[in-house]
Formats: sequence, C-alpha cells, structure tokens
Amino acid sequence: MIEITLGILFLPLLSAAIILLFLRDKADLAAKVSVGAAGGVLLASLWLIFAGHEESFTWNTRWFSLGGWELRFGFLIDGPARLLLFIVSFVGFLIHVFSLGYMADDSARPRYFGGLSIFMFSMLGITLADNLIMIFVFWELVGFSSYLLIAHYFETEEASQASRKAFIVNRVGDFGFLIGIVLTYWNFGTVNLNELADLADFSPDLASTVLCLALACGFVGKSAQFPLHVWLPDAMAGPTPVSALIHAATMVAAGIYLLVRIDFLFTEQALAAIALLGAAMGLYAGFCALVQRDVKKILAYSTLSQLGYMAAAFGLGAPGLALFHLTTHAFFKALMFLGSGSVIHACHHEQDVFNYGGLRKRMPVTAYTFLVGVLAISGINFTSGYFSKDAILLWAYNFNPPVFLLLYSGAILTSLYMFRLYFLTFEGEPRSRQASEARENSSFMTFPLVVLGILSLFGGYHSFFPERLASCLSPDLISASVLPHHLWMIVLGTSAWVVGLSLARMLYGQSSPKDSLELRFPGFFEICRTKLFFDEIYEFYVKRIQDPLARFLEVMELLFISGLMVRGSAGLAALVSMLFKTLYLGKIHLYALWFVLGALGFLAYAAGMFGR
Amino acid sequence: MNAITPTHFLILSFLLVGIGLMGLLVRRNLLYTLMSLEIMLNGINVALLAFSRVGNSLDGGILVFFIMTVAASEVAVGLALLVALYKGRKSVMSDDACLLRN
Repeated sequence: MIEITLGILFLPLLSAAIILLFLRDKADLAAKVSVGAAGGVLLASLWLIFAGHEESFTWNTRWFSLGGWELRFGFLIDGPARLLLFIVSFVGFLIHVFSLGYMADDSARPRYFGGLSIFMFSMLGITLADNLIMIFVFWELVGFSSYLLIAHYFETEEASQASRKAFIVNRVGDFGFLIGIVLTYWNFGTVNLNELADLADFSPDLASTVLCLALACGFVGKSAQFPLHVWLPDAMAGPTPVSALIHAATMVAAGIYLLVRIDFLFTEQALAAIALLGAAMGLYAGFCALVQRDVKKILAYSTLSQLGYMAAAFGLGAPGLALFHLTTHAFFKALMFLGSGSVIHACHHEQDVFNYGGLRKRMPVTAYTFLVGVLAISGINFTSGYFSKDAILLWAYNFNPPVFLLLYSGAILTSLYMFRLYFLTFEGEPRSRQASEARENSSFMTFPLVVLGILSLFGGYHSFFPERLASCLSPDLISASVLPHHLWMIVLGTSAWVVGLSLARMLYGQSSPKDSLELRFPGFFEICRTKLFFDEIYEFYVKRIQDPLARFLEVMELLFISGLMVRGSAGLAALVSMLFKTLYLGKIHLYALWFVLGALGFLAYAAGMFGR
Repeated sequence: MNAITPTHFLILSFLLVGIGLMGLLVRRNLLYTLMSLEIMLNGINVALLAFSRVGNSLDGGILVFFIMTVAASEVAVGLALLVALYKGRKSVMSDDACLLRN
C-alpha cells in the first residue's frame, strides 16, 4: 500500500528529473517518458482507489526534526483524497496525451513535458498529504510549476509578465495561508489533519474565525477568488493543455480541496464569508466572461465563476456538493479547454472568437464534444453540470436566499456566454482565412476530447460512481435530494439555461464580425469590459503606494545600513590605515627613531608622567 | 679632587649610550650603524659593572660576559649581512636598502 502510494508520488518526479537532466535534446523520448509516467500514475492510482484498503488509512514517518519539534511526512487517503486522486491522475493522463498532439511542432517540448511532470508530482503531493505543512510545501511547488508552464512561451512579453503576475499574486495568498498554519499550530499544537479533526471535535473553541480566514487566504490565492482573481485570466498566456490541466481542472480546484480537508475548523462566520465571496465571484466573473474576445479568457472567467459556485457550496455547509461540482467541472472544463486548444491549433494560434466561425463543418469531433461541454456547464437537464450545479442552487435556495440570487443570476450568465462562445466559434460562416482553412486534428487530440465528452455527459449520475469514489459525496447529496422545493428548482434551473440560450441565439445567431452586444448596449458592454477596475486599482496601489514606500526604504537602507554601518565601519578602518601608511617609509633610521620614541614613551609612563 | 664614585661611571655609561644612539640615528653608512650599536652595548656594560661593584655582587659582571658574547656574534652576523648586501648592490648605505618600500 505505502509502496504504491510512494510510487504514485515520486514517479512523476523521477520522470521530470530524467527529462530535465538527460533528455533536453531528445524531444520525442522526453514526451514518451512523461506520458508513460502519467500513465503509470493513473494505473497505480486506480489500483490504490479500487483494490486498496476499504476504509481511509494514514501513514507517516519522520521527515526531519529541529530540536524537539518534528515535521512528519505522511499520507492520508480518505474519500476526498481518493476522488481528487482519480481526477488528477485521470484528467492529467488525458491532457498528457492531448499534449502529444498539441505540442508536436513546439521546439521546447522537453522543457514542457518536464514541467508537466513536476506539476503532477506537486499536485499529487497536495492530494495525498496528511499535514498542513506538507500541503504548504507542495502548495508552493504547484505555484512554481504553474509559473514554469505559464512562461513556456517566455519569448513573448505577455507570457513572461503573466507568469510573474501569477507567482506574485499567489505569494500574497500563501502568506496568509502560512500565518494560518502557524496560528493552527499555536492553538492546537499539531498540524496533522487527523489529530486536528479530533481536537476540533473535542474542543470546538480552539478554532477561531481569524484562523479560518487566514487558512482560507491560501484558497483565495490558489483558486483565484476575489480579490486575488486577477492572475488567472492572464495565466492563459501559457500553452492550452496547461490551462486545461492547471488552471481549470486541478490546481485551482486544490483550493476547494484544501477547504474540504480542513472543514472541521470552520466557524459559522467564516463559512458565511466564504459563501458570500464565492457567490459574488460566480456572478462577477460571468459579467467579465460576457465581453471577452479571447476564447481562452472566456473559459478562464468561466472557471472563476464555477470555482465561486464550489466555494459557495462549501460555505453553505455542503462540502460534498463542492467536491461533486469540482469533479464534474474538472471533466467539462478540461474538455472545453482542450476543445479550444484543438481549435487554436487548427487555426494556427488565432485566439479571437470573432475570427472563428463555421468550424462545426470543418472540425466535427471538436465541435460536438465542445457542444457537450457547453451543455454540461450551462446545466442542460441530465448532463453532469445539471446535477452538480442545481444541487448547489437547491441547497442555496433552501438555506441562504441572497446567495441563491447571486448564483442563479450567475447561472443565466453562464449559459449566455457559453452559447455565445459556441455560436461564434462553430456556427455561421468563417470570418478569417485561418478559420476557413482549419482541419480536424490528429487522434491524439480528439481521443481525450471524446473520453472527456462522455464523462461530461454521464458524470453526473453519482449513484453509478463506484462506492470508493462517491463515499465523500453521498452524505451531502442524499441530504440535498430530500430538500423541499425540488420540482420548483427544476423549473428554475431549466428556465436559466433556456433564457441564456435564447439570448445568445438572438444576439449571436447571425454571423457578424462585430459584437452585437456592444452595438446594442454599449454602456453595459463598457462596464463589463472594465472588470470593475481591479487591475487598475492594483496598478495604482503598486505604483503610487508600494513603489514610493519601497524607494523610501531603499534610501533609508542606503543611508543607514549600507552607508553608515557597512561602508562606515570599512571607511574607518581605511582611514586609520591611511594614517599609519605614512609612517612606513622603508628607512631604517626612521624606524629606529620611532623605536626610541616608543621606548622613551614607555619610560615616561613607567615614571608616572601620564598620571596613574 | 674627590674619588671616582658610581655616579661618574653612570654618567660615562649614559654618554656612551647617547653617542651610540645619535650615531645610529644620524649615520647612513651601515658599518657605522653597527659600530654605534657596539658603543651602546658597551655603555650598558659599564653601567652594569658599576652596579656590580657597588652592590658587591658578581651578577652584573656575569651578565656583562653574556652581553659581550651576544655582541660578538651579532657583529659577526651583521658584518656577514653587510658583505652580502655590498655584493648585491655595491653600496653599504642604508638608504639604498629600501626595496620593500616600493
């Protein structure tokens, strides 16, 4: 058992080391090693999930100790860990396969596949870890590998800036997370998840709202929630499979997973704050997605919005629903990102949706699988998104009407911008030369699309899930299924996507090179385009407040520390040495004279001439 | 005319040391420098013998023998160095022996 788990964790690291150390100039072999490692991880994970222990199990060993304090390295395999392990290894493997096709003509494939392997290693570390400090270590590692992969096209200004932005914004959140870990250790005396759960059960007053919110900072940074959401849309500068794997299916979902892992710590107030934050994000990101022209940015904002749904579900006390939506979202969002990657690849890296059009006839597999993704995310009845999203909506309807209102408006927007994306890309007439010459991609790229498409269609039937996977979902789903207003919710949910679809049909049904929303409602369009000025506010803060402060501190540092203390002490020594250098003339008589004077001085001192 | 007292010896000793010191400081010729050193050592010998006699003890006299021995060997070494220096740069002036300065 332990050997298998260790193997799952370290196989990708081994592959990354081999690729980055030895295979830098053997691109084909590097790709095979990386995909092979991902396949091995998938097989081992399936074995661990289905053939391993029935119940959750934990194992740990000493990593290192400082004085009396010990850091342990261990695994906690329980329901949520099994589910995320399945998602990470399964979606990860499909995206590795897709990358074989997508990156086929890239000149830096070894670097890319090495980065993917590092990412798999770090993400699996978060999934399996049994204590907060270990989670934090791997948390930083996913941040690093995300930085590495966003900056894959580092020659372009956009990608290098975006990678730095992602890294720095994540640091802000991780700082809060670190404070939260320290607070946890301070209050509880341990960071082990099992022990924490027992202690929190035993004495609930140990956890405080401040502690929860500090830990939730990690979630806010990694899952790109308000106010640290600014990095995710920019992160789309990376290769599309990376966006699918890291910025849609797994890494950004790690924030939700972290919350679920420590949900026993959360107080009422902290939960309410997270619910409201998530719901507001769900709506806000919808408005932003509505006016984007870049296909990947539309999907990025849609990811933000869906993460908001998960956060809201968690905040309303239904972590099982959050995990359920995380699972279905991982399928249909990875599907849509890979579909957009397929389109981008076929159109020679053209990303503006207004330059697409009519691609359904030229790329049928991509188009129909993409349509499945759109249907799923919009919550069309009996697709996977319908079950997970409407469960959250129903829960919110019964427990928190304001949150429901936000989420419901978000749901209408979701189907509106998703069908807008679909109509602009696949329907109508081609609006550019690239679009009219596009051809369907190789089966390396269509195979993952088909697999994910099937899962997006049928992934919502959780009762068909194997017991090992669904054990963490069942309690909340069963309580959701017995909530009142069930039928009313079906009507509401259905009307949401019908409204969105008909609005999209009305606005974008005809092929036009201009955005018809912009033509009809220019004021509204402009407001959405500004994204509520977050980037501008941060820029103002950095330029007007942080930079002057940094410059002031720099001057102080130059003046006092490096000037007065460092250079000052060295200068004093130099001054003294200059004085004494004048005594050294190389004339033996002079030395004799000094000697005589010195002897006389001693004599005078001995005679008491300088006083006693 | 009074008898010769230890004071007279000490004055002689002081004069000898002073003459040697002045020679050491003023002369540029290393040969003279060595001779000045000898004069200073002998001045000290005079003082030691005078104290030895006043104190009715042989200690001073014994120390004088040591000093003479050391002085003899010192002169031997000093003269040898001087010869070596002269071979090297055809001069025994101390101002010419200042290579370390530059």
